[in-house]
Amino acid sequence: MRAHLLSLLLMPVAAALAAGDVKLPAYQSATLPNGAVVALVEKRDTPLVSMNVTVRGGGLGDPVGKDGTASLYTDLIQKGAGNRTAAQFAEAIENVGGALSASAGTESFGVNASFMSRDVDLMLELVADALQRPRLDASEFEKARTLAVQSIVAAKDSDPRALMSSYGDAWLFRGHPYGRAVGGSEASLAAVKLDDIKRYYAEQVGGDRMIITVVGDFDSVTMLQQLERAFGTWRKAGAPVPTAPTPANVTGRPVLLVDKPDATQTYFWLGNVGASRTDPARTAQSVVNTVFGGRFTSMLNTELRVKSGLTYGASSSFNRGSQPGSFRIGSYTETSKTIQAIDMTLDTLARLHKDGLGADQLKSSQSYMLGQFPPSIETNGQIAARLADMLFYGLGPEDVNEYAQRVMKVDAAAVRSTIEQSFPQPDNLAIVLIGDAAKIRDAVKKYGPVTEMKLTDPRFAPVTK
Amino acid sequence: MAWSAAGLALGLIFGATAQAATPEVPGADQIVTRTLPNGMKLVVWPDKDIPNVAMYTWYRVGSRNERPGITGISHFFEHMMFNGTKTRAPGEFDRVMEGNGGRNNAYTSSDVTVYQNWFPSSVTGLIFDLESDRMRNLDFNAEKVESERGVVYSERRSSVDNDNFGTLIEQMQASAYVAHPYQIPVIGWPSDIEGWKVTDLQDYYRQYYAPNNAVMFIVGDVEPEEAFKLADQYLASIPAQPAPPAVTTKEPPQLGERRLRIERDAQTPLIAMAWHTGAAAEREARVMEVLLSILGDGDSSRLYQRLVEKEQAAVDVGTQFDAGFDPGLAWVYAVVPPGGDVTRTEKLIDEEIARLAQDGPTPVEITKARNQALVGFWHGLETISGKAQALGQYEVFHGDYRKLFDAPAEYESITAEDVKIAAATVLRRENRTVGVLESKVEPTAQAREGAK
Repeated sequence: MRAHLLSLLLMPVAAALAAGDVKLPAYQSATLPNGAVVALVEKRDTPLVSMNVTVRGGGLGDPVGKDGTASLYTDLIQKGAGNRTAAQFAEAIENVGGALSASAGTESFGVNASFMSRDVDLMLELVADALQRPRLDASEFEKARTLAVQSIVAAKDSDPRALMSSYGDAWLFRGHPYGRAVGGSEASLAAVKLDDIKRYYAEQVGGDRMIITVVGDFDSVTMLQQLERAFGTWRKAGAPVPTAPTPANVTGRPVLLVDKPDATQTYFWLGNVGASRTDPARTAQSVVNTVFGGRFTSMLNTELRVKSGLTYGASSSFNRGSQPGSFRIGSYTETSKTIQAIDMTLDTLARLHKDGLGADQLKSSQSYMLGQFPPSIETNGQIAARLADMLFYGLGPEDVNEYAQRVMKVDAAAVRSTIEQSFPQPDNLAIVLIGDAAKIRDAVKKYGPVTEMKLTDPRFAPVTK
Repeated sequence: MAWSAAGLALGLIFGATAQAATPEVPGADQIVTRTLPNGMKLVVWPDKDIPNVAMYTWYRVGSRNERPGITGISHFFEHMMFNGTKTRAPGEFDRVMEGNGGRNNAYTSSDVTVYQNWFPSSVTGLIFDLESDRMRNLDFNAEKVESERGVVYSERRSSVDNDNFGTLIEQMQASAYVAHPYQIPVIGWPSDIEGWKVTDLQDYYRQYYAPNNAVMFIVGDVEPEEAFKLADQYLASIPAQPAPPAVTTKEPPQLGERRLRIERDAQTPLIAMAWHTGAAAEREARVMEVLLSILGDGDSSRLYQRLVEKEQAAVDVGTQFDAGFDPGLAWVYAVVPPGGDVTRTEKLIDEEIARLAQDGPTPVEITKARNQALVGFWHGLETISGKAQALGQYEVFHGDYRKLFDAPAEYESITAEDVKIAAATVLRRENRTVGVLESKVEPTAQAREGAK
């Protein structure tokens, strides 16, 4: 093997001293001959190893009208690969107590594995087989597609909170790829054929798109050799990496009402285009969002839950991608309190714009962000995912190592301009409501033009005429 | 009862082999405990991996300690623990904690109520202050009681009323127990959510929120001596109370299968089964965990392979074991495809259970279950919060946190024969409750079209 092609960089380590002041552990990085990027961290407090493979493309590579193709592809590569049938593949993982899963996101898909360190050879073999030697068997494809459709139907019978972002993003990003359902809808999955999966595999998957991160109890030199053997000569993807254009903000307040006739509660989602993962203002946005809707004592939760008892929870968050994703506010309340709760949400957003943050709120938010950062990169799996995320977005170790400085640097001026630029005004929001339409249909007209669909419709967005 | 007798017999086998596979856990020898004069026990595990601390306070009270009229009050009480003391206004607890970099949560089960604080180690003293204040000085602001009632009702609407699975499980639990208070849903029945009074809360506080009914676990960037000094300062002077009344009701043996049917809009019908089995500390509980894992954990499990992969009689299958102070339930459930035949799904589950009871598991399946338990053990120890949870689980339900470290060896000691016997003696028809949730009407035409 061509070990000389590999560049090994040792990153500096520093001890964790003050609150939030954590550094990434020493990691070694390398590029394989086919362009795959590798990062390794030895961490030996448990006899476990976590592996994350991120492949650029994801749902952006789905053919038009066939949302869910990438997702079905990731289902199928676990259903038979190399010399193992679907059942044998599952047994090989579970017999040793391992875990291996593949799933698609909007801009990438990932294979995540976690095994005992004694089983690391098997882990590499299974991940390599799934990626490079999937059987893509016709009968397994039919089963996987049927199951994917049925799982969506089952989700509609369950807690609606799990579905809000599917409807919300579809409504906010109409006509933009961020509005596609990555897992597909009942309707779009019906259109996907096995040939689409095979074409996806040929065009959207390959060594040049890969980021491999491994964290845990192993020897880096050996691991690098094993990775190069297992992945270093894999072919490149047939097509260029798909990209998304910059999405346009929503103006006005288009309302989508999703009818769930037996609902005793209305679930609401208010959003607009937010910010990207690499936005220079991302830290300031998080500082503000922590105060607005990012923690228990946030303005939203204080108004809707703590003071008024209207709901069990109200929150807001930025969903970041290569392009600005959604900034969304979400909560739910008893059907008869729908208007009171949404009005209160809009008033709270207006108050953020009017009053901004006080000095004490800024300081409190900074303390909270620093204090809660270390547990977010504590486990093998968390570190593997964080490294993959940094490499995916072209961020260096400073993304973690200078986190504390970036948070402390946010001042009153940065807070003001961030609220102005990154947080929507209350009169510009895409609104989605899941609830009993007969009881709220008329009242919600005051927010904006209402489009209606049923929860049982086989799509997450109304059919456009 | 036949199955508990089997559990006893199995216990004898276990003693002989338990020591074999106890793994070396880095840092486990650093764990120190202390019991304060008021009866409150502290367990400290120093771990400097990150500059943070997880503090978990376990109270031995849950819906198991309730009665008609105050169902759900343990969980409601958990909410009130965040709503003001005689020295701090409602909301102050959270504001101070979050403003100093900490975060908190809490959960209530049938057996216990657990308060979790995660914070940078630099504010450990402050968190002791906050935690001790609500153990000593809790106030019951009448206005907060009313608004919090609404919060809990909203929680109930989301997790039970608007969730088909939540609805089915609540009804089955209420049917599976005719005597024991495990029949009470943790969230509480709606009329009790509307009805509980401030005096109920005050009684509860005095009886159950005493230092002698609590154990505190502190894991992370902290020196045990420092933690004990803070405990002396903040916790030691909280007066002990008489031990709360014991839960003495025992569920009588079930005399025949119970069946219930819920009619509720559902494109995907649900079926679940629940069998009476042992308490967490009994060996039968371990055997049931292994049995349920062989039956329904993961894509290679028997139920998944048969129902989902081979027969397409389920969208998903799963198992659950309620391990508590008293004999709990072992659950198996399946989500039936739209338009699917629930009776057929039930028949297939029955066949798989009969096969396990008849032939027992294969050696590969036993090894798999042991490996999965071992990996689960290590994953639980990956984080400071995982460690605090695991210590609590063993200290409270097994009587000694050190039994955590024997768990892998205990799983190693479980044999194919143990599982076969448990399948035959526990998973009996007369010992189960079967619940089905389905619509009165067929799925809509549109749903059928989409499902093709």
